[in-house]
Amino acid sequence: MKKQIVVVTSGYERFVHWLMAISCLLLCYTGLGMMYKELNFFGAIFGGLKGLKTVHDICAVFFAVGLLLAIQMWWKEAGVFVFPEDWEWIKAGGDYLWHVDHVPETGKYNPGQKMFFLTVALCGLLMICTGFFMWFPHYLPANLMDWVYVLHVLGFVVIFAFFFVHLYLGTIGNPGSVSAMFSGKMELPVLRMLHPKWVKEMEHEGKLMIVEDKK
Amino acid sequence: MSEKIKLYDASKCTACRGCQLACKQWNALKAGQTEHKGTYQNPPTLQPNTYMIIHFQDYVAPEGDVRWLFRKEACMHCTKAACVTVCPSGALYYNKEFKTVGMDREKCIGCKECVSACPFEVPRYDKETEKVYKCDMCETRITNNMNPACVKACPTGALKWLDKDEALKIAEGRVQQLGGDANVYGDKFVGGTHLMYVLKEKMDVYDGIKKDPKVPQSIFVWKNLLKPLSLLAAGGVIGAELIHYMIRGPHKPHPEHYEEAKKQGGA
Repeated sequence: MKKQIVVVTSGYERFVHWLMAISCLLLCYTGLGMMYKELNFFGAIFGGLKGLKTVHDICAVFFAVGLLLAIQMWWKEAGVFVFPEDWEWIKAGGDYLWHVDHVPETGKYNPGQKMFFLTVALCGLLMICTGFFMWFPHYLPANLMDWVYVLHVLGFVVIFAFFFVHLYLGTIGNPGSVSAMFSGKMELPVLRMLHPKWVKEMEHEGKLMIVEDKK
Repeated sequence: MSEKIKLYDASKCTACRGCQLACKQWNALKAGQTEHKGTYQNPPTLQPNTYMIIHFQDYVAPEGDVRWLFRKEACMHCTKAACVTVCPSGALYYNKEFKTVGMDREKCIGCKECVSACPFEVPRYDKETEKVYKCDMCETRITNNMNPACVKACPTGALKWLDKDEALKIAEGRVQQLGGDANVYGDKFVGGTHLMYVLKEKMDVYDGIKKDPKVPQSIFVWKNLLKPLSLLAAGGVIGAELIHYMIRGPHKPHPEHYEEAKKQGGA
């Protein structure tokens, strides 16, 4: 059987992804170390809790930049639901939860990916805004500021839980998909399974870049 | 040793500010340059290097006479202290012996969470040192059987450092003695404070006094609900994925996906 490899992401897309991924994971790590007294020892590798806070503050800036680039780059493709095809996909559970004879075809990003993108975009903006006021709490009245901390933790609850969904579906849950974020290439059958309509569109427009043919 | 209260009797205070000076001296706090604003109250507010001030207030009584009201403002040392609940580093803690709120400045990471949480607006953040400052009831003194510096300095007996039972008894007695609108401030909220006042006038009369201080409700939502939920939700997701992986297995291409690929490849 022939194995055809397709270029699916650009270097810039991967750069933005990893900029956000690394800063976000460090933010989660340092944030957990500060929120749980039991996890204060996370600070040891940064020379103490104060170092943990400094790393959190620095990563926040990188994350903010990454997030804005990501929104600018992806919101048209991944931020807008297309009906009725997206709704059909959701009703079929995306072929993940039960047996589906024919999986409804969606565009480049399926509604699950869109939900993740929108969650990261909206919660990420929430984290940046609330985090900004945590640096300058005197800009807001104290009783409003109290709820800023609540929103910051709420954003974390959502992003942290959704991160593990993203990690699972981007690796062992969908074998063959993780290479899209490393080499930027994917095998055609996997791509056809995950993004059938996108493959057809690219074929139609002659944009399907097959780079390797292995016998 | 037992739970102790610093009792401030406003009716005995002459606003000599000996306490303010003693506080600065014991804690080695520098004085800052301030401007004269037509009041003896100086500095105007608490500062990173001013843990306590005496408020000066001209009060026109309903009877028509003008009275000078004094009030000591400093950390109230709450029994249920919002600052201790939110402090991520353990820099703020309860003194086990006296139940006052101590502070280990070495541990402070300058997150300012206590600044917003405090219902009395006491903790002050210093940009230069990136740390927060507040009265710790002279912990180095009280743990060595001495009075807090401000109490030691008070010449009129307006400030006293007493066992809690005794303090409440004295405060109640003093209120009876003064009569009129006199009242005790500090015993009725946040589980009781460890700085309590005997006030001559009704509480509402005093400028800047907190009438109904509470631990903000947001702290309950934050620390008791969302904080544990963050790990529970992530754990639940990971558990669900394990089950999914075992029961449904990974998502693999259907034969048709290969078929089409073959057709394409052959073409």
